[in-house]
Amino acid sequence: MSALSIAATLARPDRGRRAPMLLTVGAYAVVSAIVLVVTAGALSFAQLEGEFAVLYGSLAAFAVVLLVVPVIVLGAAAVKLSARSNDRRLSSLRLLGASTPLIASITIIEAAATALAGALAGVALYAAAAPLVGLVRFQGEPIGGAMWLHPGVVAAVAGAVVVLAAASAAAGLRRLVISPLGVRTRATTPKPRWIRAAIVVGLLVVMNLAFANLAVFQDAGVILGVLLTGFALCLGALGLIGPWVVRVLGRVRLRSAETPDRLLAARSILENPAAAWREVSGLAMTTFVAVVGGSGAALVDAMSRVELDPSNGPFDPTARFFASDIMTGLVITLVVSFLSVACSTAITQAATTLDRADLYDGLDRLGVDQRTVERARVRAVMTPAITVSVIAAISSGVLVLPVLGFTMVMAPISIAVVAGTVVAGMLLIRGSVSMTSTRRAAALARAA
Amino acid sequence: MNNAAPRTVLAARGVARAYGATIALAGVDLDIRAGESVAIMGPSGSGKSTLLHALAGIERPDAGSIRLDTGLCAPVDVAQLSEGERSRLRREAFGFVFQNGLLIPELTAVENVAMALMVNGLGRRAAIPVAAQHLASLGLAGMEDRRIGQLSGGQAQRVAIARAQVTGAPVIFADEPTGALDSRTGAEVLDILLHSTVRQGRTLVMVTHDEGVARRCDRIVRLRDGRIERDEAATPAPAVGMAGAASPARLQGDPPAEPRPSVAPSPWTYRDELRPQPEPQPTGDSQGAAARTVADRSTAARS
Repeated sequence: MSALSIAATLARPDRGRRAPMLLTVGAYAVVSAIVLVVTAGALSFAQLEGEFAVLYGSLAAFAVVLLVVPVIVLGAAAVKLSARSNDRRLSSLRLLGASTPLIASITIIEAAATALAGALAGVALYAAAAPLVGLVRFQGEPIGGAMWLHPGVVAAVAGAVVVLAAASAAAGLRRLVISPLGVRTRATTPKPRWIRAAIVVGLLVVMNLAFANLAVFQDAGVILGVLLTGFALCLGALGLIGPWVVRVLGRVRLRSAETPDRLLAARSILENPAAAWREVSGLAMTTFVAVVGGSGAALVDAMSRVELDPSNGPFDPTARFFASDIMTGLVITLVVSFLSVACSTAITQAATTLDRADLYDGLDRLGVDQRTVERARVRAVMTPAITVSVIAAISSGVLVLPVLGFTMVMAPISIAVVAGTVVAGMLLIRGSVSMTSTRRAAALARAA
Repeated sequence: MNNAAPRTVLAARGVARAYGATIALAGVDLDIRAGESVAIMGPSGSGKSTLLHALAGIERPDAGSIRLDTGLCAPVDVAQLSEGERSRLRREAFGFVFQNGLLIPELTAVENVAMALMVNGLGRRAAIPVAAQHLASLGLAGMEDRRIGQLSGGQAQRVAIARAQVTGAPVIFADEPTGALDSRTGAEVLDILLHSTVRQGRTLVMVTHDEGVARRCDRIVRLRDGRIERDEAATPAPAVGMAGAASPARLQGDPPAEPRPSVAPSPWTYRDELRPQPEPQPTGDSQGAAARTVADRSTAARS
């Protein structure tokens, strides 16, 4: 009860906390709305009938699973920002002798309350978006009323967001040291090892062989299983290799860094390659999905044109829409995924700039141009973002090389649509970095 | 022999600053001459940090003027400069040593010092050797590649001092530079700070709470309620906690920091000072000897 009353007292927002709190609530709102929209879209396929019904359902479930990583990263970033924006208050409580369980309870209550506010806003966002998303056509018809979820499902999703936020807060607390002198992150940054790269290369070779010899498997279900397993393994492999790649990238950048912003960016990447990777991991996975899924969708498109040729005999009427539906589903998955990554980037950057506000203020006093610091921050995010995307695109391209080559010739427009979505996604992420500012953080530090 | 009085580097006239209803400075007049060390003291809220910030161009006063005349360029009124011009002034003409160092944690010691040169336009490859020379001259040879978190408080403050002097800035501002250090380390750092500034012909303006620290300076300016209460010559105090403190002789060579006039002056350009010195060529095993060689060469280059 005392934790609840203290949390309620601390909940009064002040000038310094307003922006981080709004960002956190906004992040939870986006997460909730995304989960609700995607769940509604996936459930709408349950009403389909015919040969493709199971396939639609499987692909929708797969798309939902793909969104788990960026959504979890976004949730974790929101928790970190929430704790950071409250650090002075928590430190003061520690100074007054508050116990660790009390501090933990307050943090978890705050995270849950913020998530609840975000989830409610997310429900409103979902209600506003549902009619628009309902216009998207699958099987030749708009989704329409199927976008409206049962209130029980909506409540369950909102509840799940709150519970996950509270659980994330509890887990995130283990990484934070809250002392009377302030809050800091535990410095546990194990060096990524090259052996991970070797494992990934081996995995890519095996999967490439398996994909090239899919015809060996007679059953369509087995083929789909092999494809999805390979896909999941490759995404896992990206997670393994990511921090190592980012570290190598940081070292290369450091060697050639001649200007202050390049030096600061390279050093801040090398400071914690795993954290730098986490920030862009959703992007790498999204690019991977874009290349593999885009090639697959384009292949289906090219094949359907052959199948639908009247000279080849009768066809299932649902097959007519399958190719375009796959592409629509893919683009929606990519858009949602990029939105999640952009939100988590904005949130992580807000937490980082708050973390370093005193330093930014100090650099300003020393006469360091804020534009230099700002450029360094943008570089520290965008350099790994672009690099891991290119690496993800190349490795996934190698994985589906025969299909990719075929579709680039047979269905170039499909490939162009996917490539355009990826470029737009990158621009969205660049924009999200600009939502926070070192200048504002420095001003906040000075005011405090 | 030249008996002319030292130039007045900073001349504050009627400097006033208020934060809402709170008056931090109520019309301060203060002259600071070239090559002297001035301690600004006073109780909390007396306005000493605000005065330092105003003199250094960190904050613009509400009223009054602050004339900066280093002799290296045309005099300017710091209070009338724009935000961007004041930033440039701080970058090029002033050096700073703060209580918490304000060093960039992810950079190494030598990169932190080099950063002061790099923000003035020097490339990293050229800046690193110059920064390394300055670190060596302050007794930090061999620690160039350490992160700030791997240094002791005293070593981190030496890095901050090296950063303040590496650009050849003629005026150094220090805000409680020994405030976070134990008395012995604080005394060492103060010795190094005085040695690398005032004894090199630079001007030092320092805010401190510590009477012992203030009495090591030439003058003590005491503030109360935003006004100068007393401005007096400092009387040396018996050393407290000074046992084992670094004397200048213990430093590994003199800091190569004597400012010289700019060849192509813009209002306050010191960029020529940023040119790298020749790389040290150690002739013996001793790092101290190598550092002295570098310092001697630097001094010779200036004369």
